[in-house]
Amino acid sequence: MKTFDLHDVEAVVKSIANTAIANEKYFSDLDAAAGDADFGVSLATGFKVVLDKWEEYDRSSINAFLLKVSMVITGNVGGSSGPLWGTAFMRAGIKAKGKEEISLLDVASMMRSAIEGIMARGGAKVGDKTLIDGLIPVAEVFEQHAQDKDHTGVIAMATKAAEDAVETTKDWVAKRGRQSFTGERSAGTPDPGIVAIATIMKNLETVGQE
Amino acid sequence: MKKFVNDPANFVPEMMEGLIMANPGKLKYVKEYNIIYRADLNPNDKVPIVQGSGSGHEPAHIMAVGKGMLDAAAPGNVFAAPPVDYAFECLKLMNSEKGVLYIVNNYQGDKMAWEMAKEMAEAEGIKVGAVVIDDDVAVENSTHTFGRRGVAGNFFAIKACGAASGNGASLEELVALGNKVNDNVRSMGVALSSCTPPAKGEPIFELGEDEIEVGVGIHGEPGRRRDKIKSADAIVEEIFDAVYKDLPFQSGDRVALMINGLGGTPISELYVLYRKAAQLCEGNGLKVVRNYVGEYCTSLEMAGVSLTLLKLDNELEELLAAPAECAIRVF
Repeated sequence: MKTFDLHDVEAVVKSIANTAIANEKYFSDLDAAAGDADFGVSLATGFKVVLDKWEEYDRSSINAFLLKVSMVITGNVGGSSGPLWGTAFMRAGIKAKGKEEISLLDVASMMRSAIEGIMARGGAKVGDKTLIDGLIPVAEVFEQHAQDKDHTGVIAMATKAAEDAVETTKDWVAKRGRQSFTGERSAGTPDPGIVAIATIMKNLETVGQE
Repeated sequence: MKKFVNDPANFVPEMMEGLIMANPGKLKYVKEYNIIYRADLNPNDKVPIVQGSGSGHEPAHIMAVGKGMLDAAAPGNVFAAPPVDYAFECLKLMNSEKGVLYIVNNYQGDKMAWEMAKEMAEAEGIKVGAVVIDDDVAVENSTHTFGRRGVAGNFFAIKACGAASGNGASLEELVALGNKVNDNVRSMGVALSSCTPPAKGEPIFELGEDEIEVGVGIHGEPGRRRDKIKSADAIVEEIFDAVYKDLPFQSGDRVALMINGLGGTPISELYVLYRKAAQLCEGNGLKVVRNYVGEYCTSLEMAGVSLTLLKLDNELEELLAAPAECAIRVF
């Protein structure tokens, strides 16, 4: 089975950062519909710092690298997104401890731990219409197909699952996070966090093919 | 803005360096992570106790580093939580066989930084205990908090846990002790003026010449209401009443009473305030067995005061009376 090393992890982080930066306006515009319009700016600002510090990270292991990235995200992505996204990378890093290479199954357990971390940190539950509802379908695809598909196939299926999540959750009323402040008004507007997950996955398809 | 400041960006590290230089051989400084710690500490002698919040509240908490108090502190910038890596490095530096305890006030940023650092440290096999202080009765939620804020009551958690740790208490016992202090301590403050963080250069809120903010937070967060300035006694009556009724304290309780200056109030005024607070304690049947008048948890140069009452039992009374040394108490 194919495994992934630090180099691959770096490529994934870089792709996520580039997605956040390239979609600054798109994510903020989505947020403006039912939130406070700063999500895209917060995310892009933080991930710009992630790239600015790119050469400085501890690269002694996947664990060390992801922990350093998580601290930069936590400190530089604005608002509550910083600690939430930072926690996700931190949890993923902790799960990768002691591993020089990770399998798709490892990735699945890193994602599951990240989801639990975000829920613990932010108090969001499944169905509250937050990025959790975008991440869970993605993690499920990794869990179910880590052993019967190659990584490009898994990423493609996970992307589809994330895009479906954007559509299914669109009409939900947000119960937590930025959209919850507008209550019923949030129904009909996709959650920017869930859209961000789908966009990130879409761009990872290209990385996976390289 | 008129302040004793060089480059505002260096305000915190320069303060830390000054503190180290004023206490030669007693304190050490890790500049990269802004960690100050006891030079004489052998971490395996006891459970080390650490703290790390925004700066601007001095002597809280860096100047409470010393024997019988904190073993290390990793503060952030003025009114800004420490970055996660400061907290993580602080836990690693203080790692001991018995674990390490952190005590922080209930602010979202501080809590988040330390909770993340705790998770990372635990993944490294470090045992970490946490105590969160929320003694301010003024408001339930604020711009910086879910739930109540933590203010000067934190000092009593540091003092009690610091003494108990020196007596050999385990991490679990210290967490329980810190929570006991928090369960029995209540505070509330009043501001007569705003304050100006050096890097911001302007006051964090506006307060009219004849106005006071009742229930102010130590970052200038709004309290219960704006009022006109009134007599010292009337101000103490209001905050004493709020604090007393909250626990509630009861006639016959033995207490520690603290009148804490918020940074810009002369000590003379603090004693005028203490006078009334002590009278109110007596009038309500509270026996003040320990008292504290001075600056413990400030908000830069804010003129104002907070009143803290801690209900004592024999254990807490003994721990508060135990000797301690820290940088700001040198005679």
